[in-house]
Amino acid sequence: MKSETNTQQNQSFTLNMGPQHPSTHGVLQVILEMDGEYVLDPQPVLGYIHRMHEKMGESRPCRKFLPNTGRMDYVCALPFNHGYVGLIERAAGIEVPPRAEYIRVITSELNRVASHLLWLGAFLLDLGAFTPIMYSFDDREQILDILEEITGSRLTYCYFRPGGVYQDISDKFIEGTRAFIKRMRSRFSIYEKLVATNIIFIKRAEGVGVISPDMARRYGVTGPLLRGSGISYDIRKQEPYSVYSDFDFDVPVGENGDSLDRYKVRVQEMEQSLRIIEQALDKLPEGPYLGKAPKKIKLPPGDSSFSVEAARGELAYYLVGDGSEIPYRLKIRVPSYSNLSVLPELGRGILLADLVTIMGSFDLVIPEIDR
Amino acid sequence: MKSMNQFVDALKRLSVQISEVDYDRRGYHLEVSMADNQVREFAKAMLDNEFYLVFVTANHVKPAIEVVYQFAHFSTPCRVCARACVAEGEKISTISDIFHGADWHERETKDFFGVNFEGHPNLKPLLLAEDDADLKPLLKSEKMLKNVEEIRWQGEKPAKPAAAGKQAEQKAEQS
Repeated sequence: MKSETNTQQNQSFTLNMGPQHPSTHGVLQVILEMDGEYVLDPQPVLGYIHRMHEKMGESRPCRKFLPNTGRMDYVCALPFNHGYVGLIERAAGIEVPPRAEYIRVITSELNRVASHLLWLGAFLLDLGAFTPIMYSFDDREQILDILEEITGSRLTYCYFRPGGVYQDISDKFIEGTRAFIKRMRSRFSIYEKLVATNIIFIKRAEGVGVISPDMARRYGVTGPLLRGSGISYDIRKQEPYSVYSDFDFDVPVGENGDSLDRYKVRVQEMEQSLRIIEQALDKLPEGPYLGKAPKKIKLPPGDSSFSVEAARGELAYYLVGDGSEIPYRLKIRVPSYSNLSVLPELGRGILLADLVTIMGSFDLVIPEIDR
Repeated sequence: MKSMNQFVDALKRLSVQISEVDYDRRGYHLEVSMADNQVREFAKAMLDNEFYLVFVTANHVKPAIEVVYQFAHFSTPCRVCARACVAEGEKISTISDIFHGADWHERETKDFFGVNFEGHPNLKPLLLAEDDADLKPLLKSEKMLKNVEEIRWQGEKPAKPAAAGKQAEQKAEQS
């Protein structure tokens, strides 16, 4: 691949990619300075779906912000629920019964698998492979059915509550989840044959969009992108929240930090999530699913922070309380925001077709970036 | 980062105020307060110690807007929250050439609070539209604005932290 192009003056032109472009996966615009087929300078333009969630969080009692959390990253909403209730519990000192924590872990991990499945299909669709999305959406549909039964919704979940979860899981849910784990494990070999050994896919993804560990640090890249670059950093291991320290699971890492490694890491992460779910179902304690939490939660003065590992990386909520029910300041740090900010540096001097690969491998969710 | 102690010593040499806080209640390990002209030195020290930038944001209080930086580390569980005050209409130095990820975070902070980052190469509206550049939606109204003492951690007797979280902490310490 050429990293430097022979640019003569006035030869470059501007190309708009998006906001209505299938491979931006939402209303993201990228203004590309082009020289023929080579990208000289890609600049993302954000804000098309900005809704000012932080302002909404600062203008209502903290409980009433819960539905908003599921509407930022609608593909992987439960970790967003998790981070917010975790923050409120930390700030206000609310206890959570063990059963509730286990249910949170089970449902969050199911949601992570569903999110990675959606990405798998969409990423390969970007590369021109139509078939994988049929398989991955078939699998994902199973999870949506399972989660719909207990959360009441298929995408924008609002299932967690400060002190626990909205309702207990049923035997049907447990049976369905176990059946899904069994089914999903038999599917990995299909994906392996269909995708991972496909020479066209490998040629398109290998060596494309290499993120070095140093670059990741400078931009604050987290999640599967960072782990693809060989850094074993996962909030579930590093700062174990909820009951993640009870489970035995690995953090898959890549070697080269290219798009192919990001693919491999996410597929392996799905297997690890299944391991976590299985252990959590085996160890699921009896007891209440919702602990005692005051109806009006007073947030004591001072700041607190809570980070969780969402499907795309580190999600951090930062709260400043003033003793009232309403947060004085609520900051939401979303993973894709920092992940996408690496694009102008990463996309310099590459082919336009490779830019599509890179953005596909990033697993972007635009409503999350714009908030 | 060589070791936690060396890192803390390096920060102390910058003559910033640094204190350890209760992770169970606050969600981070070290709290740093600094003057607005120490931001760049502090950011360099964080980069040298291999921290990454979690976010930059601000908080509108009386008498001045606080710019808040959070950093964390890829291999050592150490989360640092730093604050610098910048009076309304004043400028604070950018760290976007040290931590390149700060570029967008600083633009967002300019959008929401109107904080000016001196030396930022491209301080244009990011999330807000160009027409709304003067909106500054997260600034508090006179009625809602609190004094800085009212939103500081009071050091009150901590309520019981979440039982499960506590167990997790203990297990992490043991292993």
